[in-house]
Amino acid sequence: MKITKKIISKIEGEATLKLHKKDKIIEFAEIEFWQYRGMEEFLKNRHYLDACVINPRVCGICGHSHLIATAKAIENALDVKITKKAEILREITLGLEIIQNHIKWFYLTLYPSVKQKDFFKALEFAKDIAKIIALIAGQFPHNSYAIPGGVTCDLTNLEIIKIKNFLYEMFERYQKIMSVDGKSEDLEELFEDIPKDIGRGLNRFLVLGDNLYFSSNGDFKFIREEKSTSLNKNVLYKDKFYEVGPLARNLNNPLVSSIYKKHKDSVYTRIFARLYEVNLIFEYLLKRIDEIEINEKNYIKPTQKNAKGYGVIEAPRGSLIHEIEIEDEKIKRYNIIVPTQFNLSNGNKLNPSPAQAALMNEDEKYADFIFKCFDICAICVSH
Amino acid sequence: MHSKPKVLWIDAVSCYGCSHSFYNYPQIKEILNKIDLIYHPLLPTKEFEIKSSDILIIEGAIKSNFLRLGFDLIDLIAKLIKLSRKVILIGTCSVYGGMFGEGILFNKEDKGKFYKCKDKIISIPGCPPHPEWIAYAIEMVLNDKKILLDSENRPKEIYSYTSHMGCVRNEYFEWKVDAKNFGEKEGCLFYEQGCQGPYTHSSCNKILWNEVNSKPRAGTPCFGCTEKTFPRKDLFKTETFMGIPANIPLGVSKRAYLTLAGVAKSLTNERLNKRLIDEDN
Amino acid sequence: MSKEEKKLEIMKTALNLFAKKGFYNTTIADIAREMGMSVGNMYNYFPSKESLAKELLIYTSKLFGEELKKINEMDISTKEKIKKIVELYFKKAKEEPELVDYFMRVYLSNKEIFSNGCEGMLCVSSFVTEIMIFFEEGVRKKELKNQDFFAAFGLFMGYLGGLVFLYREGILGKDIEEYIEVVSENIYNALKA
Repeated sequence: MKITKKIISKIEGEATLKLHKKDKIIEFAEIEFWQYRGMEEFLKNRHYLDACVINPRVCGICGHSHLIATAKAIENALDVKITKKAEILREITLGLEIIQNHIKWFYLTLYPSVKQKDFFKALEFAKDIAKIIALIAGQFPHNSYAIPGGVTCDLTNLEIIKIKNFLYEMFERYQKIMSVDGKSEDLEELFEDIPKDIGRGLNRFLVLGDNLYFSSNGDFKFIREEKSTSLNKNVLYKDKFYEVGPLARNLNNPLVSSIYKKHKDSVYTRIFARLYEVNLIFEYLLKRIDEIEINEKNYIKPTQKNAKGYGVIEAPRGSLIHEIEIEDEKIKRYNIIVPTQFNLSNGNKLNPSPAQAALMNEDEKYADFIFKCFDICAICVSH
Repeated sequence: MHSKPKVLWIDAVSCYGCSHSFYNYPQIKEILNKIDLIYHPLLPTKEFEIKSSDILIIEGAIKSNFLRLGFDLIDLIAKLIKLSRKVILIGTCSVYGGMFGEGILFNKEDKGKFYKCKDKIISIPGCPPHPEWIAYAIEMVLNDKKILLDSENRPKEIYSYTSHMGCVRNEYFEWKVDAKNFGEKEGCLFYEQGCQGPYTHSSCNKILWNEVNSKPRAGTPCFGCTEKTFPRKDLFKTETFMGIPANIPLGVSKRAYLTLAGVAKSLTNERLNKRLIDEDN
Repeated sequence: MSKEEKKLEIMKTALNLFAKKGFYNTTIADIAREMGMSVGNMYNYFPSKESLAKELLIYTSKLFGEELKKINEMDISTKEKIKKIVELYFKKAKEEPELVDYFMRVYLSNKEIFSNGCEGMLCVSSFVTEIMIFFEEGVRKKELKNQDFFAAFGLFMGYLGGLVFLYREGILGKDIEEYIEVVSENIYNALKA
């Protein structure tokens, strides 16, 4: 048996992959993260509102999800209800963050691990998606417009009209990447020289958030973090590893489900679900935007000062958890559990995490590709 | 034919927000086509090697015991700076340290570990910096144009502005009408919500974000993210001493500012004291 | 005598009359008579009795403002500054009682006279600005408690005004200057950090 160690970069940071191989076949894979930024410590003793500025900086590509999870955690702690309008606006900006993430991941991360491909159309697309977020939230990346109690903006119908037309335009443009009936030339091109059925995971799926059109199938109470060999913490649900993310949360869609029946939880199904999710988010957002009552309040000021709370959402890569303890308006404890921790926990050979399972028994030449199809956010792990 | 200038973009302790901000530059393709991007932490490039570069771009703060691509981060940065002709520090982390560590040029208020390399450094602070600022720095260096820099090596064409300039809530600031709540069109965010606009060096409200908006326009206070003090504590609060702002707008004496503010507060601008969009006639 | 000096002369005369008889019981003719001027000539200096009252207020505020500025710029503790301000106020009340009387009996009692052009801080801004600076710096130096401006302002000025009122009514048992020490101490104790 041979063990090779490789640093995988361009995954919003880096991870170390140790492959245990026998005749080029991967017998086991160890996944390690060696960066740590200490963000939870940085939050301690600050006013809880500061978390709305600090936490987006967990990540440049999915920082908005961290903002929404922060606002939700504090609202849960302080027992604050937000208006329907504020809730819809958050759905739009979070949904759009997921979309820009998927398109960047597909063309900037995944494709280069297989072949060269023009990525400027992806940047162009992501830039326009970011513009719609900015119309509501002020800017992208790193806005703080979602605060406990609602949102800071106060839109007029001019922006609503612009956002809606923009959403239609982008939905239309997306059809060239993947159509609503699941056709995608770029996806098929990616798989020209790669088998579709490799990289099968644990076939165990978890959805904890119920934002957008997703429905949860579990309760965050059963989540447990445990020490790992590197600076990452393993995340278990009822003492087992689970796969989170677009495949997990779209299995009840007929088209995704038919692909799943054919290819199981392979790389192809995982990538298909991610690309197809974009269409479903566009459809959902276009429905929700019509429900906005322009005269409804944007913000209700919280009154309570002490409590514990949590916020769970479906972020680009899966279930994201923020937990907070507030004492006299100050943060006493903060804990963040990110989707990549679920998918890339470092288990053992008998009890591997989804990504480890996906790598096992596959040819080492596909390792990079299989690994990256989980859409890893290393920087989120090193929060 | 001359070969394209070599640009090496290295990530220190960051969140990649600077890179993702730069992706929003509408003519990013034109810039990337002009250069030979020998490494970038996210964009497709060749494998990383310690190599000489015409422009070294550093994103993120430095701290000890931090590994980057298998190297000790501070050693790696030292080598890369030595091998570069010009260095562009992008982001508040890389210039001042921000929330993740020490900056390259400064460590918050103090001189940083690489202050001695000041002559070849250009600072583009911001969390994240505006894509146009990053593009500006790259273009100016590529074209060998002279950049007027301030004492912290920030280009004056960008950082001589304050983020207050161009804010749509300016009239409320002039007439001292404070925003009473978040989520409202009316009122200035300077007095109650902690807006740092009048003393933050940046052109956010002049050139706008994503070409359409800015934080204060979306009702979010400016957090002073381009400054060495970012992120200060109590980001949504204006520090006051006996109800008087502890920091007053750049360039004005406290006495002059308080006199003007008192006069403005004494006179009422009827229009600004009611809802901007009224349901009545 | 220059026009400005003459104007000042008229203001001083008016100040005395307003302070003594009140604003409404004093006519332009009264002021002119006291000055030995014709009523017509008076109007060359002040277009109305209201404008005279307004300028007087600005003048008084400036006078106090300039004195306060000197105290603000002194390199002494906030506690010592409080004593200096109390001293200034009580001494003025004794030496130039008409100034204080004017402030209390005309400005504070007849706000309607000042409703046009003297709203809010407009005519008293030199004085109020210096008080703000005094408070702001006291908190900045961590010598005063950080609190609402008006809560502190009211405590300080209301207290001084009350004492001067008692003094001018002749109720105060001792000379007002004998109260400087204890009043300063009380103010400091109430406002200190």
